[in-house]
Amino acid sequence: MKGAGLVLKGSLRPKDNDSAFLLDPHRRGVPNRERMQRHRDGDEVDLVIVGCGAGGSVLAQRLGRAGWRVVVLEKGPFWDPDEDWVSDEEGAHALYWNEKRIVGGEDPVEMGKNNSGHGVGGSMAHFAGYAPRFHPSDFEVRTRDGVGADWPISYWDLKASFERVERELPVAGQHWPWGDPHGYPHGPHPITGAAERAWEGARACGIRMRVGPVAITNGVFGNRPHCIYRGFCLQGCKVNAKASPLVTHVPDAIEHGVEIRTNSMAVRIEIDGTGRCTGVTYVREGREHHQRAALVAVAGYSIETPRLLLNSTSARYPHGLANNDDQVGRYVMVQGAPQVAGRFPERLSMYKGPPPEISSEDFYETDESRGFARGFSLQSVGPLPIGWAEHVRGDGHWGAALREYMRDYNHWAVVGCLAELLPLPDNRVTLADETDHNGLPIARFDYTQCDNDRANIAYAKRVMNDVWSAAGAQDTLTIDRYAHLVGGARMGTSPEESVVDSDHRAWGVPNLLVADGSVMPTQSAANPALAIMALADRLAARLLAKRVEDGRPRPPRTGLVAVLEGGGA
Amino acid sequence: MSDGFRDASHLPKQAGRNQADPDGLPRQRRGTTPQMHGRYPDLDILAFTSHWDGPTRTLILDRVENPPPFRFFDAAEVETLKAFCDTVMHQTREPRIPVLAYVDEKLHTGRLDGYQYADMPDDRETWRLLARALDEEARARGGDAFGRVPEELRLEICGHLADDEVEGGTWEQIPRAFQVAMRAILAAFYSHPWAWNEIGFPGPAYPRGYMRLGIDQHEEWTEDEAFAVDPVGDVKERGLE
Repeated sequence: MKGAGLVLKGSLRPKDNDSAFLLDPHRRGVPNRERMQRHRDGDEVDLVIVGCGAGGSVLAQRLGRAGWRVVVLEKGPFWDPDEDWVSDEEGAHALYWNEKRIVGGEDPVEMGKNNSGHGVGGSMAHFAGYAPRFHPSDFEVRTRDGVGADWPISYWDLKASFERVERELPVAGQHWPWGDPHGYPHGPHPITGAAERAWEGARACGIRMRVGPVAITNGVFGNRPHCIYRGFCLQGCKVNAKASPLVTHVPDAIEHGVEIRTNSMAVRIEIDGTGRCTGVTYVREGREHHQRAALVAVAGYSIETPRLLLNSTSARYPHGLANNDDQVGRYVMVQGAPQVAGRFPERLSMYKGPPPEISSEDFYETDESRGFARGFSLQSVGPLPIGWAEHVRGDGHWGAALREYMRDYNHWAVVGCLAELLPLPDNRVTLADETDHNGLPIARFDYTQCDNDRANIAYAKRVMNDVWSAAGAQDTLTIDRYAHLVGGARMGTSPEESVVDSDHRAWGVPNLLVADGSVMPTQSAANPALAIMALADRLAARLLAKRVEDGRPRPPRTGLVAVLEGGGA
Repeated sequence: MSDGFRDASHLPKQAGRNQADPDGLPRQRRGTTPQMHGRYPDLDILAFTSHWDGPTRTLILDRVENPPPFRFFDAAEVETLKAFCDTVMHQTREPRIPVLAYVDEKLHTGRLDGYQYADMPDDRETWRLLARALDEEARARGGDAFGRVPEELRLEICGHLADDEVEGGTWEQIPRAFQVAMRAILAAFYSHPWAWNEIGFPGPAYPRGYMRLGIDQHEEWTEDEAFAVDPVGDVKERGLE
């Protein structure tokens, strides 16, 4: 490790987050819920956050620790992994955002289990666990490559946040040679036979692979146990080994006076006569409530964040909040994520181990010889039977042929790619004519690839086929798909081409923030969870340093004072 | 098949035919698989239930023991769509996984998947229209309702549907019907322990987990693939007959 004076390995305790120590070692779920602070709707809290996923939880935990009075409105439930989660693909259905969205465009994107979460923890409850950093190049794509957009901040503005979040999750993996080279707090997990086969093929092609980076404990970390390699990461970790805000930030947030109000669907952000937010109207158990707040942060991810802003119309903002320049909902991005399976004589049992095992970022940046801008990462994956059936179907099979490929399950291994697709203004979230059970217009998401996107995806598929061919695969099967969501309320330097500034503050609405993946101006070829958390970490630091207006001045409170006050109320 | 399944010549793209010869597949000896053949004749996932956590065990046993009654589809739709599900999943004889019963429950309870294509109706409407379109197509090809025509005609219609080569009538309202229907069918079929027995997936793995992760390794409680052993000798050796 070049230049590193300390070897940062093992059970490093995060400085300002006790979540892993607050958990019960013999019971999953958040133990201190019964002591949670409760606020009344009419009390003006310092901050109300909409959404308790990667962005909202980190922001709440940081500010709760600093003594802010914070309420998080979460549409879904407070999960107890022991009781609510099962070791079963179909049984994980409740973890997804299953309310209807309309998907259109020439290349419509599947939602639900593919990319949308529901409940405390958000989609990280069912993410695979890959937690790579973005590269420095991701923040200056327009300048370097002439496509997409530049971010108003650089990698170096986020580097300390990446490091802090990596220690909190914690992330396990080999030393990372790509982007800004770095190590990880936990060492690499053992890999399965399926990943071995992929690695052999990559090696023969001259492609570097590394184990990780995955947000799964590989050693002692507070009261979170070691992974048991059961392979059900996408169904919610019943072990507490895989990171999600439910175990990494929510316990500490609650301990420091944050209230997480579940089953509460935000329907409108309210505005006063001066154009400032006064709080959030939400529906709980069929009734409308209004939580007053000095500052509002929206963290509903790339579909629900734009939808809430667009639905928050008023005489002052007839086209929705922060949407004077018709920027809300635009530049929503997904990653091209085709997967190619290779068939081998041996039993590889790809259902074992976490689906994310090894990855390569050798193709991440632009290489002009490839004929398109930007690139992709390669990652091993391990679909369970329903996922494998969708893969076989994706290659065109049904009936007897599908059954035969399914019987062959144990002989296959799968690699996937995440191809960086470019931000395009017409790939956007709008409001559909149809309404939900609260009478609120639902979101419509249109998506169409550009030529650069198609060339990137096609190239990545050729590389994956080369890997399997070099590994000696006897047959291959390919599925085209997408992964992840970002954008829709992007950060920038002017209201004409963005929704928020570099401090996540909505243009024209002084006390409205956006604190999730929707602020990202480009997609990168990395999984977005770590970057969403890092952005929220940076935003919290900016708020605490008073670099961003925090509504109105208040005396700081300690977590203990807040708890005692709540107990006496 | 002396090389067993280490060879890939049995796979549809390599064999140049759609289907494995069911007579060439091992018969299930323990547990149940759809149509009682599979690669792991002694694998019975339901023998592992004592190793599962409570909520998982309750869910999966209920799935197997209590297939939901039909509440969404009417009798004619059930006849048509059962035949469709059996055709696209190649369920040619009993025991069959009751795929349509699980689909019916999802539609009846509104447990949908979170999206609807802009050029398609709601999933519930899609399934009803699919039933109507299948009957129209079967009648137009000189037959009866889809559920009453011979298997060859059903296969032919499903093939055209899979290849996006159906048009006219009700088909025009549901351009992605095969995609939507297969999503639900595959989830129903491959969430059933009988299917896991067939393909050698050990099912729920909590709290037991796995320890032998490497190539050609398997846990002491999972089973060898049938053709990796000589089935005749194996049956005698283990006193199974």
